[in-house]
Amino acid sequence: MWNREEFEQRMRRVGKERYHDKHPFNLRMHDGTLSREELQTWVRNRYYYQTRIPLKDGLILAKASDPAFRREWVHRLLDHDGQEPGEGGLAQWLDLASAVGLERTEVVSLRGVLPGVRAACDDYVRFVESNDLLASVAASLTEMFAGDIMRRRIAAFEEHYPWVQTEGLRYFQSRTQQAPKDAAFGLRFVLEHARSADEQSRCVSALERKCEILWRLLDAVEAAGRCPRISRHAQLRNEPSTEQILVVLPERAVRINTSGREILELCDGARSASEIARTLGSRHPEIEQVESDVHHFLEQIEHVGVLEVAS
Amino acid sequence: MRCAYCSNPLNYREIPETLDAAAWQRIFREAAELGCVHVGLTGGEPTVRRDLPDLVAAAAKAGLYPHLVTAGTPLDRAGLGHLQDVGLRSVQLSLQDVDSATAERIAGVRVLEAKLAFAAWTRELGLPLILNVVLHRHNLSRVSEFIALARALAASRLELANAQYHGWALRNRTALLPTRGQLEDAAQVVAEARKGSASPEILFVLPDYWSDRPKPCMGGWARKTIVVTPSGVVLPCHAAAELPGLTFWRADERGLAACWADAPGMQAFRGDAWMPEPCRSCPERGRDFGGCRCQSFALLGDPAATDPTCAKAPRHDVVLAARADAEGGMAQPIALRGAATA
Repeated sequence: MWNREEFEQRMRRVGKERYHDKHPFNLRMHDGTLSREELQTWVRNRYYYQTRIPLKDGLILAKASDPAFRREWVHRLLDHDGQEPGEGGLAQWLDLASAVGLERTEVVSLRGVLPGVRAACDDYVRFVESNDLLASVAASLTEMFAGDIMRRRIAAFEEHYPWVQTEGLRYFQSRTQQAPKDAAFGLRFVLEHARSADEQSRCVSALERKCEILWRLLDAVEAAGRCPRISRHAQLRNEPSTEQILVVLPERAVRINTSGREILELCDGARSASEIARTLGSRHPEIEQVESDVHHFLEQIEHVGVLEVAS
Repeated sequence: MRCAYCSNPLNYREIPETLDAAAWQRIFREAAELGCVHVGLTGGEPTVRRDLPDLVAAAAKAGLYPHLVTAGTPLDRAGLGHLQDVGLRSVQLSLQDVDSATAERIAGVRVLEAKLAFAAWTRELGLPLILNVVLHRHNLSRVSEFIALARALAASRLELANAQYHGWALRNRTALLPTRGQLEDAAQVVAEARKGSASPEILFVLPDYWSDRPKPCMGGWARKTIVVTPSGVVLPCHAAAELPGLTFWRADERGLAACWADAPGMQAFRGDAWMPEPCRSCPERGRDFGGCRCQSFALLGDPAATDPTCAKAPRHDVVLAARADAEGGMAQPIALRGAATA
């Protein structure tokens, strides 16, 4: 078992190695090289994460039997939801959405949320649901690393994205204050309550898992902006009897049905995944969730090597 | 090369005559008509055939996706470029180890440098590279280095294949079979690497000796893969000719379709009618197809017996004994292929 200091260092090392400030998408955000559309995609999708946070905090409250813990933790709900409508972190995020040129109602509808983002955020809530208080609080400790990224973000927005009105940055400003305070309480709790080597290593794993979830969220956002094309190594065969396509690859073949085929035909290396999804969405207004299905399909066939991607 | 883990038939050097390119052209056409999409040119070592470009061209012309399985050493860059020009689509390169001396100890010759040069040519030519490493107790601890090497070589896939204890490898089993701890450590390394990056795709499954369930050998006997030997014999797998009492036919004499569908040897273990209990009523028979016939023959002398790697098999004890030897860490020297008879 580590002593208190070693354990804290071990937890901090997780952030140094795995926190999403090192994700290529965040690096580009902070370098100022994201397009307006990419920034909008991020804001729209990250809103889904914001909506899951109060659910997660409610689950944590329900696991805590100590009134002092609950008194402290309940602040988080109010920080997020506000004392009044229009206040709090969620409302501030919608201010950011307006500032980058999105419709608030459209963002609130969650219609444009990418399936990969939804899956990552839902995983977080499920993790808290199925784990004990200690692991759940440990998972929340990415807050330890949030203060820095918020400060970097504010500077990057002011320098590189001057078209985003500064009122939109209130969320980041509030979090530079709240995150360190919240993290200090969470960290103290974890350091005191992990009482065996096994519990300590469960806390490290929980924090790693959370970093992974944040990373996957950005992977999905990034993928939406990339322009897929059919792999150079693919040999396409028409199967006239079924109107399907067989994509032959090294040691593998993938059969694509007719709706997949319509998507594949748009993968020309010039259109982004988001553009492809929108095109099919407007072609098939009668089908629900077309865009989400298209993103999901593209992710799957990229995974098995049918597609290669250019930025 | 004389690899200690070679699972090829012990007599494969004795194959008398080989078909000419015209005969192969016909076989490839018949394969495409049967619905085959890939053709894997494998060995032995296919690149020692002088007419390999003709075979690749014939396969491509038939509409198949030609894939070369090679040790990489006999071919130069121009030779590989020529194969690509006539239709080669992808390459699998086998690697013994990341460390030159250990690789030599396993393969019997100094090969690593030549293989790395070969891998670099595939990248320059834009041929997708699948790296294959046969795992055993002497290299399992270096899985993370294999992954790093595969990344450095821009391989599209890394196959971490546990040694199959057939042919020559069975003689070396005690020297090669890993411990459970070694496999668990390697599995952990692979899981971490997969999280870190989607590329290369990494294939790693627990070997049948340690997994309590048989492997779905060849995806089922005569179910999805057709093997044609250099002399034209059509088999369900490269080792099946060693099984006693089975008759297989030659593609150049009867046509591929008939050899595949009707040869008595192909029908012998196709489907599940041949299965003894406990396989016949086992709910998993549609997943593992009863395991590996060559393994039952090699370990029990009866190709129709239940694969002894299965925990439900009556003779699972022979596999448990092999595991116990591996766990006991019995030191046994590695015997190179051909060394005993040389």
